[in-house]
Amino acid sequence: MTYQTVLQLLPEILLVAFAVAIYVGSAFSDAQRGWNRAALAGVVLAACALATVHYHPAGGYPLFQDGLALFARWMALALAALYILLSFKPLPGGGTPEMFGSLLLIVAGVMLAAAAADLVLIFVSLELISIPTYILLYLGRRDALQQESAAKYFYLSVLSSAILLYGFSFLYGLAGSTDLHNIHDVFLDAGGLPQGFELFAKLAAVLAIAGLSFRLTAVPFHFYAPDVYQGTTHANAALLSVIPKLAGLAVLVRIAWWAMPDGGHLALGIVAALAVLSMTLGNVLALWQDNLRRLMAYSSIAHAGYLLLGLAAALAMRNIQPGAWDGIGAMMFYLCVYAAATIGTFAVFEHLGGSTRRVEGIDELAGLGREKPTVAAMLAAFMFSLTGIPILAGFWGKFQIFGSALSVASDAETAFLRPLFIALAVVGVLNAAVSAAYYLRIVGAMYFRAPLGKFRAEGGTGALLAAALCCLLVLGLGLYPRPLLRASDRARPQLEIVGQVSNLSHPK
Amino acid sequence: MPHLLLLTTVFLPLLGAMLLHGDRVEVRRRALAAAIAALIGAAVLIAAYPGGAQPFAETDFAWFGDDAPVDIRFNIALDGLGLWLFGLTALLSITAVLVGWDAIKQQASLYYRLLLILETGMLGVFVARDIILFYVFFEFTLIPLFFLIGIWGSEERRYAAIKFFLFTLAGSVLTFLGLLSIVIWDYANPIGPAADWKMTFSIPQLTAHLCLRPMDEQLQLWIFLALFAGFAVKVPLFPLHTWLPLAHVQAPTAGSVILAGILLKIGTYGFVRFNLAMLPAASALLVPWMLGLAAAGIIYGALVALAQKDMKKLIAYSSVSHLGFCMLGLFAANPLGVEGATLQMINHGLSTGGLFAVVGMLYERYHTRQIADLGGLAKKLPVLSFFMLVLTLSSIGLPGLNGFVGEFLILLGAFQRAWAGVPLSAGWTLKTISILAVFGVVLGAWYMLWMYLRIFFGPLREPKDEDHHEEVRDMNSREIASLLPLLLFIVWIGVYPRFFLDRMSPTLQQLTGNVQAKCDITVTANNTSDLAPPIAPRGRGG
Repeated sequence: MTYQTVLQLLPEILLVAFAVAIYVGSAFSDAQRGWNRAALAGVVLAACALATVHYHPAGGYPLFQDGLALFARWMALALAALYILLSFKPLPGGGTPEMFGSLLLIVAGVMLAAAAADLVLIFVSLELISIPTYILLYLGRRDALQQESAAKYFYLSVLSSAILLYGFSFLYGLAGSTDLHNIHDVFLDAGGLPQGFELFAKLAAVLAIAGLSFRLTAVPFHFYAPDVYQGTTHANAALLSVIPKLAGLAVLVRIAWWAMPDGGHLALGIVAALAVLSMTLGNVLALWQDNLRRLMAYSSIAHAGYLLLGLAAALAMRNIQPGAWDGIGAMMFYLCVYAAATIGTFAVFEHLGGSTRRVEGIDELAGLGREKPTVAAMLAAFMFSLTGIPILAGFWGKFQIFGSALSVASDAETAFLRPLFIALAVVGVLNAAVSAAYYLRIVGAMYFRAPLGKFRAEGGTGALLAAALCCLLVLGLGLYPRPLLRASDRARPQLEIVGQVSNLSHPK
Repeated sequence: MPHLLLLTTVFLPLLGAMLLHGDRVEVRRRALAAAIAALIGAAVLIAAYPGGAQPFAETDFAWFGDDAPVDIRFNIALDGLGLWLFGLTALLSITAVLVGWDAIKQQASLYYRLLLILETGMLGVFVARDIILFYVFFEFTLIPLFFLIGIWGSEERRYAAIKFFLFTLAGSVLTFLGLLSIVIWDYANPIGPAADWKMTFSIPQLTAHLCLRPMDEQLQLWIFLALFAGFAVKVPLFPLHTWLPLAHVQAPTAGSVILAGILLKIGTYGFVRFNLAMLPAASALLVPWMLGLAAAGIIYGALVALAQKDMKKLIAYSSVSHLGFCMLGLFAANPLGVEGATLQMINHGLSTGGLFAVVGMLYERYHTRQIADLGGLAKKLPVLSFFMLVLTLSSIGLPGLNGFVGEFLILLGAFQRAWAGVPLSAGWTLKTISILAVFGVVLGAWYMLWMYLRIFFGPLREPKDEDHHEEVRDMNSREIASLLPLLLFIVWIGVYPRFFLDRMSPTLQQLTGNVQAKCDITVTANNTSDLAPPIAPRGRGG
């Protein structure tokens, strides 16, 4: 570990330091407030530190400095700031400053996972996300539902980590190194894999994708999501629906797309299947939900499907000169607009809750359009954005994803994939239409029904501010998506020419 | 500076919507002012329209920045196809604002905001010249109408609003895939040196490229079907029409006026702009199928309309029938049919938009839409019955009014297609279809006049209802003002259609020239019997 590496790690180090300070300090202080500000300060400082890390397209060990790493790190920090705003007001029944500490650790984990160039580092940073998440789920409300949800998350998370680790062990076995660059070279070199080892490569791909699908909440690794979301707070549900997806996608791109070029077709098949399953199952099951967080959980599963569709396109186009759409940029763009709309939605829910009781069911939103027009308009914008209606940001996300899928279908080199990708695109857009049904239920409840009771709206101005920021993003990116398009276009790992760049770039 | 005027006209209602505030009286006055300003803009543009096939008043800049790999542009302009629909939108928006003048009591500012936003969306659809911009406007119109139906509609409004939204969305997402496929296919098949080749979303450019280097037929068929999914739901083409009667009946009057008057035309407009212009081979191949669906819609809509007890429902089914005529003309794929169909889009907007407005006025007076509840109103409400009569006659195609010109040209076009040397096997189908369509006209006269007869003639019959205590009066000046402009155009088009046809025909010829040629080639190739020489395409009808 060199001085250079420490400098690169400075944002994460700062976050961890703040987290430790919050954990320790809150134990000795009675003050409920103030820790949220400390956490925000930590995020801002980390952002300043991250601004000094420069883009470097190729190589890097143990950390990448490529587009993907930087994009994901910035996005993680932005999400952290939104999350802190969202839960600015202490929870009913006593504040829990540990919440903010856990958050900072989770964000540090996401940032590390997106930049890590080593299997062990990837695994450790993913655990750095998981373990504070268990704490986060246990904090606050203490009823049976929450206990159950936290336990459920814990067991399934551990299981997924084990699967992922098993997959990593095959990768290590094949390459004889945990360094992703070496793995990459082994796969890429002409005589790379020894005879008879293809099976292990396939096993590694399958297991890695399976383990990471848990983070993405992709079917069939989604079973925890509805129960966990329902059992936890709005803020935690917002966190769970976005942050693990970011880490999971970044690592998936690193391993399945970048490090294992040969695993291509098998990985493509699995990812495509998971995409279709997640979209369809998520959207269809969401139609019957009455609990808001449960509904959003299925929505989160469905959107994982769209993201995987982008990944499938990226895998198919890996070896083609990138055109306008290469899948990865589309995926990252999609994740951003999904995050804005989803966090905004949960922020509105949080804002609407009372000091002792949260908003739970769709029915409780009845009449919101007349009682609180601004908040209702924001929530409606989020719902339409999640559906993918222009001129909101979600439309451009769908545009990018389906554009990528159709690009694969039109390319001569991937002609044999044409039926698959056309089918994927058709399933995808039809799913978007299905999803409109349950998003519209929320909009319909707000505008077409008479209010059932008073809206307490005691969730605090922080949540309202978070919602307003998200709304600004959803509208602004809808009208002028160019800045985010430009940024997400660069958010891809550099592909290297066989055995050339990689030897030069990472000093050991 | 016509391009600035066009830009202002399109976005003026939106600006008005943003600035709208105040109490109910103030808000509606301002909304009316914004709609009138947009109409003035549209009128000046139409007056200045030079004719010919060139785009007029074009604004074009890169939406995503010039260096973007995906070069989506903000490109709007008027041409012969969009010109009259653009004007119709501006005109009917005023009717829409005026018909809700007294009826809308709750949340008035939201109501007028949504109406004005909807107007911008619709104006945008007809001038967009970038495929994505078109789709953005096309989809965006769903949101305001969804709220208009859901908040201010009648009893089943929630169900109707959601069904309307889902039906249209389900179709139009497939249209979206189809449009994207056109763009991506075009990008994957460069003309000239590949280094200079850029992905383009421009509708005229894509049309030109696809003329120069057509897609293979198989692909055209698939893309045709994808586009069909959205446009046919919008039109609505039988059997995809089930959302329409429900939406119409439940919508507030202004919603019905706009839905029937303009939004349905977006479907037929899309068929001309994309299916006929960009996919000529597939269109030519599918002519018998499309004509068959059109005729089925004409007859089915008319028969169901005959059986209706609810005025709004009856007019809604008459829309299914009339839009069937539009489709019949378009897919007759000859100058007469296409021009007639495009004119019929305007005609239907004027007459059916007006009819929905009158029914709305009756509903405000009697709180019923049931035909059986009313009778003999001609004596009590002479002015209203006069307006209704003119609109009814226009709708059934009385010579001298607009409906006649459109339907006549369409039928002429269809007969020409059916008899102009089609081989015997296909010929019987086409001939049957054309003859069936004529029966549609007869049925149309039957159900419309019968409704008129039951409501306005015979002994006076008013609902014994506690709901209306106030005395029922005839139309007031506000209501007359909302319908008078429609009547003016109904007569104008009926008496002197050339004025309208002249301005649209060069563009239409340019857009549908290919598919016409394709159809005529198919005809000559298959023409073994030599019974009738193909009729040479004429420049213009009317």
